[in-house]
This record gives sequence, C-alpha cells and structure tokens, in this order.
Amino acid sequence: MSAKVELCGVTKRFGAFEAVSEVSLEIAAGEFLTLLGPSGCGKTTLLRLIAGFEQPTSGTIWLGGVEVTHLPPYRRPVNQVFQSYALFPHLSVWENVAFGLRMQRVPAAEVTDRVRQALELVSLAGFDARRPQELSGGQKQRVALARALVCRPQVLLLDEPLSALDAKLRQAMQLELKRLQRQVGITFVYVTHDQEEALTMSDRIAIVNRGRIEQFGSPHEIYHRPATAFAADFIGQANLLDTRLIAADGSGARVRLAGGLELVLRAAAWPAGVETALVSIRPEKVHVSKSKSRAQSTFAEGETNMFEARIEEEVFKGATDHLILATVAGTRLSAVVANESALGEIFHAGDRVFCGLHADDLVVLRVN
Amino acid sequence: MTAGKEAGPPVTDRRTAGWRAWALLAPMLAWLMLFIVVPTAVLLVYSFCERDELGRVVYTFTWDNYQRAFDPIYVRIFGRSIGYATLTAAICIVAGFPVACYIGRAREELRDRLLLLVMVPFWTSFLIRTYAWITILKQEGLLNAVLRSLPFGAGPLDLLYTPVAVMIGLVYAYLPFMILPIYGSVEKLDGALIEAAHDLGAGPLRVFSSVIIPLTLPGIAAGTLLVFVPSIAMFAITDLMGGARVPLIGNVIQNQFTQARDWPFGAALGVVFMALFAVTYWILLRFREREEAAG
Amino acid sequence: MKSPKLSPYVLGAVLALAAPVALRAAGELNLFGWSEYVPQTVIDGFTKQTGIKVNFETYSSNEEMISKLVAGGGRYDLVQPSDYAAEAMIRQKLLAPLDTAKLTHLKNLMPEFVRRPHDPEGRFTVPYMSGTVGIVVNTEKVKTPVKGYRDVFQPRFKDRIVVLNDSREIVTWALYSLGLPINAIDAGSLANARPLVASWVKLVKVFDSDSPKTPLLNGDVDLGIVWSGEAAILWNQNKKFQYVIPAEGAHQYIDVLAIPAGAKNKAEAHQFINFILRPEVSKLVSAAFPYTNPNAAARKLLTAAELANPASYPAGGKLETFRDIGKVAADIDRLVTDLKSAQ
Ligand SMILES: Nc1ncnc2c1ncn2[C@@H]1O[C@H](COP(=O)(O)OP(=O)(O)OP(=O)(O)O)[C@@H](O)[C@H]1O
Ligand SMILES: [Mg+2]
Repeated sequence: MSAKVELCGVTKRFGAFEAVSEVSLEIAAGEFLTLLGPSGCGKTTLLRLIAGFEQPTSGTIWLGGVEVTHLPPYRRPVNQVFQSYALFPHLSVWENVAFGLRMQRVPAAEVTDRVRQALELVSLAGFDARRPQELSGGQKQRVALARALVCRPQVLLLDEPLSALDAKLRQAMQLELKRLQRQVGITFVYVTHDQEEALTMSDRIAIVNRGRIEQFGSPHEIYHRPATAFAADFIGQANLLDTRLIAADGSGARVRLAGGLELVLRAAAWPAGVETALVSIRPEKVHVSKSKSRAQSTFAEGETNMFEARIEEEVFKGATDHLILATVAGTRLSAVVANESALGEIFHAGDRVFCGLHADDLVVLRVN
Repeated sequence: MTAGKEAGPPVTDRRTAGWRAWALLAPMLAWLMLFIVVPTAVLLVYSFCERDELGRVVYTFTWDNYQRAFDPIYVRIFGRSIGYATLTAAICIVAGFPVACYIGRAREELRDRLLLLVMVPFWTSFLIRTYAWITILKQEGLLNAVLRSLPFGAGPLDLLYTPVAVMIGLVYAYLPFMILPIYGSVEKLDGALIEAAHDLGAGPLRVFSSVIIPLTLPGIAAGTLLVFVPSIAMFAITDLMGGARVPLIGNVIQNQFTQARDWPFGAALGVVFMALFAVTYWILLRFREREEAAG
Repeated sequence: MKSPKLSPYVLGAVLALAAPVALRAAGELNLFGWSEYVPQTVIDGFTKQTGIKVNFETYSSNEEMISKLVAGGGRYDLVQPSDYAAEAMIRQKLLAPLDTAKLTHLKNLMPEFVRRPHDPEGRFTVPYMSGTVGIVVNTEKVKTPVKGYRDVFQPRFKDRIVVLNDSREIVTWALYSLGLPINAIDAGSLANARPLVASWVKLVKVFDSDSPKTPLLNGDVDLGIVWSGEAAILWNQNKKFQYVIPAEGAHQYIDVLAIPAGAKNKAEAHQFINFILRPEVSKLVSAAFPYTNPNAAARKLLTAAELANPASYPAGGKLETFRDIGKVAADIDRLVTDLKSAQ
C-alpha cells in the first residue's frame, strides 16, 4: 500500500527566484522521511511539488515507479496534512473525514466503517458531530490526519503539522504519529524545522538549505557524521575548527589548527585535492578532566588527541555542565560534561584541565 | 438588597454610560424614526383610509383596500413578481458568481481595478443607464445595427418591450449587488481548503459544488436578498424596457400613486408586500436557527 | 389634462419638499403651475409690464397641487388645475369666483372652450391650454386609412401599437367604440367593454404615458393613441406622423387658470389671467408648448406651420372632457390591470 517517491533533478522557479534547485531524492516505500531546514528553504515547495499543487520548472517526479509530474493533485495517490489543517469549516468531523471517500465514490456502508476506524485510530471516536471550530488544536490536527489516512494514500505528506501545538502536546503527538506510521505502513514525508522532532521521528532526514538537499541520511548519520557546516550547525551544537592538512592516508588525516595544535582524524577520508577544511566535533564528545590519566582512560581504545586547556566559562545546567575551553594554542572549544554522580569532578572557571578528542569523533566537512 | 449595595459609584457609572450610549445612538434612532418608522406608520394609516373624488386620502376606517389586495388578480401579480425576481436572482447568481470568484482570486491591484469597474455604473443615474439600454435594444438600435453588419445577416431582433428586455434590465441593474457580497465571501475563502479538496480527490467540479459553494453561501444568500427584494418591487424597468405590458406588483403599486390616484389601495398593497417580506424573513431565520441547533 | 412631462418617479420626492414661505407684500403674485407649462418669457414679460413680482412654484400632478393648496392656507394666488380637478375644487369651495369685469380680454376665448361641464357658468375658471387624446399613425408604415379605435386595434398591428398607460383612457376608447357614455360608467358598461379591452391589450407593444412618442420615433411601433401634445412634437419632427381624432369620439382635456379661495393677492392674479388672455402672450405659450390654444385672437397670430399641425388643431370631431366617476375608477383600474396581467 505504500510507494516510493522519486524526485529527479527537480527545479522550481517562481519568476527569477529559484525555490528548489536540482533536487534528486529517493524516498523508500514505507519510510518516514523528514525534510528539515530553516524557514524559507523550500520545504513546503518540495511537498507541494510531490502533492501536485506546483509543477516543477524542470525535472520529473515519480510515485511507485509511475511518473506523476503533470498529474493534477486529485489524480495522485497522495494525501497531505496541511500546516493550517485546512479542515472544511462547513462540515462536521465525520463529514470532513468522509470527504475523500465520497470523492472516490466509496459505497456508503464502507464509508461508515472506514471513517469510524479512522476516527478510532486517532482517538477521536465520539467527536463525529462536532464542527472543526469546536475542536482544540491537537484534535484538529488528528482530524486532518484521519481525513488524509482514511483515503489509504500511498504517500502521506505532512507540512509542519505540529508547529501550532504546545511542547507537551507536540511530544505526545510525535509519538502518536510515529506509532501510527508503523501501524499503517504508509510512506510519510514529514516537514519540520524542529531538529529534535526530526531526530525523534524519522527513519531518514533530508536537510534542506536554500532549495538544495545538503545531506540525506539516518538521524544517527546526520548527527554523528554531518556532511556540511550547515548540517553540523543546524542539528545540535558543533565546534567548527579551521584546519590545514599536514598528512593524509586512506582512512584519515593529520591536521593543524590555526594556533598550532595538531589533531588526528579518523572519521572519514580527507577530501582529495583540498588543503584546508572545517572539522566538526560535538561538545559532548570533548572529554575533559583535571587529571591526565583520567582524561586518557575515558578512551577505551583508538587514537586520542590530548592537550591542555583552561576553563574560561562554566555554566551548571543540572544534568550537564557547559564549559568554554581555551587551549594553550588559543583555540576555543565548547564542551558538555555529564554530571553523572555527586562524587564526580567539579569544574570552575580558571581551572586547568586536560582535553581528549577521539579521532573518530572529528568529522571533516564538505564545502559547498 | 442591602442599602450598601444600592449606593456607591457603580450605579452612577452605569447611569452615565447609559446616558452616553443613548446620546451615541440618537442619530441612528432619529434616522430610523424619520426614514423607516414614520413612513411605515403613514403607509399603515393610509391603507385603512379611502380616497375622495380628487384622489386625496380621506381618514376613515375600512378593510376594503385589504379585501381588494387579496383579489385573485393582485395575488396572481404578486406571484408573477416573485417569479421575475427569482429568475433575476438566479441569473445574477449564475452570471455573478464566476465574476466574483475571478475578482476574489485576482492579484491585489487587478482586484481593486475590477471592483471599481463593477461599481462604475453607480456613477450615473439609474434612469440614464436604463435609457442607454433602450438605445441598444430598440429596433433601430445598436444591437440590431451590429447584427445587420454581421456577414451571416442575422435578422433584426425584436427585444425591446419584451419580457426578455425586462430580464436584461433587471439583471443589469442588480448584478453588482450579487457580485459584491459573493466577492466578500470568496475573498475570505481559504485557498488551502480548495487545495485540500483537490488533494482528497475532488476534481474542479466537485471542489466547486462541495467546498466553494457551501463556503460562499453567506455571500450568495446576502446577494440573493439584495437582488430579490428590490427587483420584486421594481417598476421603472418594466415600464421603460417592458413597455408596461405585463404588470408586476411594483407597477400596480406605483400606478395607484400616479394614474389611478388611489393612495389607500396602493398603501394596502405596500403593507401586504412588506408583511410578506417580514414573514419570509422570519421563516428563514427560524429555519436557520433550527438548522444550527440540529447541526 | 396636460400630459406629465416630469417622470412620476420623482413624485414622491417632490411631495416631500417643503414649499418656500410665501411673502405677503403688495405687487406680488404667488403662481402655482405645472412644471414645463408656463414659459419663463411670459412670467418675465408680466413683471416687466406690471412691476408685479412673480413667485413661481411648480407641481407635477393635480393631486399634489390640491394637497399643497389645502395645507398651505393662503400661500398661492393662482393655480392651474385640469378640468376634472377644477370641477372638484369648485364643489369643495376651494376656488374664488372671478371678477369678470377685470378680465377685459375674456372675449378672445373661443366659445367651445368656455362654460364646459366642469364650470358650467364660467364663474371660476379661464381656459389656459387644451388638448386631446387621439390616434397617431406613421404613414410610412401604415398605408391603410386609420379613422377610429377599431382601426388601430387590428390583429395585423399586433406589437406595433403604443397607447397611454392609463386605465381610464383605455376603457374610454372601448366605451366610445361601443357607443356607450364615457362619463356614466357602471358595472354593466364595464362588463360590455371588458372583452374589447381584453382583445386590445393583447395587441399593444408599449404602454407609456410619459413619453409615448419615443417608441414611435425609435421605430419600435407604427401607430398609437397618445396625448395630442406628444403627437404635435412628432409632427414637428417628421410629417409622416399623422394625428387623427378618432371618429367614435375623443377625450379632451382643458387646463384652466383659477384663483384659490384663500388667495391674498387676488387683484394681481386677475391681472395675470388677463395678461395671459392677451393674444401676443398666448401666442408665446403656443410657441413653447404645441397644445391647442383656446384663444381665437391668439390663433390669428400663429404661424401657418403651427396652425397646420393636426395634433394641435385637429379638424372637428366629437370631444368630451372627463367627469368625476367616483368609486368606479377603482373598478376600471382593476379591470385593466387584470386584463394586462392575463396575457
Ligand atoms: N508562489 C510563490 N511565489 C514566489 N515565491 C514563492 C512562492 N512560494 C514560495 N516562494 C518562495 O520560495 C521559498 C521557499 O518557500 P517554502 O514555502 O517552500 O519555504 P518553507 O521551507 O516551507 O518555509 P517555512 O518553514 O517558513 O514554511 C521562499 O523564499 C518563498 O518566498
Ligand atoms: Mg512551509
């Protein structure tokens, strides 16, 4: 019942402005894919291209192996949950959900069954007669979901469906959506600009920036192996270090920072023909200890980059301690240290510490 | 109630506010009195009077005028007037809806210009515009001149002084009153709803019938009222463009105040006319209330 | 009766207007006349000759004039009712008897216009202008002779006819055709007229009292029954429009000058009437409005073209003025409305 979605070299221009540039994307059947990116980067436009509300300026779109580039929206086996829900104000909850089935001329008895099931699925049984105006934000969102799901689309498109909800409801709905997706097994293309939401829900994430896909991969890959400075910065925190190549081999490199500090990288091959590059490391991967042996012992194996630093700033956040470190060579790093027990080390600004960076945690970034 | 509650500033405040509210309302109340209550009262009084040999109103009390108003002759004319008005409203809906939709969905500067065009006819007198139609439709008029000049040589159309001409005149006169309120509804219509309907498998026709029509119904209803009510009472167009051949209720009433010089009977017809509207409106309101309670 | 030039649609508005306050002063005349019926040159000439200032106010129906007259006390010194209105005003003592000694030019009037049923002794009114309701034919389109009402209402003229939109006029033509009296109408005579009126209204294309000349000029109809004033204008525009007094008889209307009982400037009013009766003044009225001039001396001063206009000066015929017919008027209106509606 689910289909894969393919975009081949899709470009969409509004006048002179290019909202989507040369996007090629293959979304597997039954996958939960998230389009993640800042406001105005082209997420909605991509979704509208898949739904058929916009026609690409160039490129083709395929659904389940069939080209749909020029099919009108009502001929595509795709349904959308709109950012604004777009529930019909003149129809009851029941009629809203039944709308798509009526358009497909499904027999009345079946309509009754399927609408009831869909409403039960989103836990809205008993709300049949209400008008959309009489529902809470979360309820509206669930009606919109039921209305789209009841049509049994091959692909479900969701445009920031949770952005209007408060944090608590949003979290509950995130889990509910994920559970639903597993239950119905439909391909979900989900748009958000909330990185946490993307990480929680997705099978894969496509990072969109200025109409282009910056990186496409699993949440794990995206987090641990950001491909670009934008991806590294957009998801979570990152230390971005300017480095110059000293020596490279097949699986890594030795680099020098501006202040003279030298580091060994092993996360990926150094890009060929490049002398300088940005290297990223997540703050929680910066290991800090007052004792050298302790700092070293945190690394079970592998190559460790060790150096001394001074704590410039310290912010206690309960579960974690946030530190700003300055190396002897003048490089600044931020680090996050878990406060695992009350007996652990206590850091203060001005303390001298040892830092350890695992060669596998230093990621070389691509330059666009 | 205790004395303490009675005294105190809140009471004074409320009284001041009341006084102010009345002062603010006064111009509107005066307007209502002068232009609605008083004329209606005069009409009501006249309707029970008689006319003298000069057609002046004699203040007696008689039901004769009402008895005559319910004579089958006039009842039938009432019926025909309702028919004409209904047809006018229907044509105005069919003709006005696409226009209103187009304007409502147009770019802003184009929309303002189109709205202006809709209102341009109001810049000239209604009678002048009606005479303009006469020059178009008359036998040696513009329309027939154009038809004659066509290569396939269509014969002259005998349009003026026919019911068709009356319909043209009525639709022309009242179309803007249909377009404007529908435009108001269309403009408010959320485009996402139309996309949602498309997304759910509705083709253009189904989107129109199941989403656009129901959501613009308030505009259509307002437009229908604005077209129906004046066109049912219209007499100038039936006179000028219809040759006064088929009397509508507006003509009959007008005639009582002019040629027939029977003001009391004209007043009685007017009162019946207003009562008819009041009752219809009341029924519609009740109907909607009941529908809302049920839905 | 003068055919209303002003559209009746403004009637309501006119009724709502307050009349200006009349000034009580010697050497003044408050004239209340039909709109478009008294030329401004005549009024100016009167002021120049006599030094009397004329306050001119107009109306567009007899009923309007009477209601303002009754409401206004002695505000008006001279009014201009139609024959039937004058008759009722005399009966209701709204008019003052004239001092004929002051009206030195009274002898100029033709005898057939004075002492008519509305004022049998000629004590209250002096005819101003007169007119008839007759047949106008576009002789380019209608080649056969049209002499009477039955010649007009023939099936072959279906949808080529314009008539006045006035129930009593239409019924009057039927009564004439049947040889029945037009001023003694009862249920019986109406029943007789009914089938004739029924067949006639089916043939009519346009009912119009305000401007029946328009469809004739536009070529939308070929013949009709209209006010002579309208027919006179048609003739002046094109000689193909011939005016015929129906052989069976025709309605004649005489508009008169009369002094209200409460007038404050009766002497000045008499002076004005006498001024109008002067042939060279009456001639000016004719020149401006081509109705039938009742002033024999004035007629001598008219141009040959004016006299030759058959609508202004028809050749003979049986002419009658309308009398008050009381409640039957309502029955007539109902009858015509019914028959028009039944089409
Ligand atoms: N119809 C249009 N005409 C012109 N420009 C458009 C149109 N639709 C979108 N754009 C532009 O294309 C770019 C991408 O818009 P899009 O709506 O896809 O952004 P988005 O990623 O969904 O942003 P957000 O997170 O704010 O919803 C924006 O710069 C927008 O201004
Ligand atoms: Mg968006």
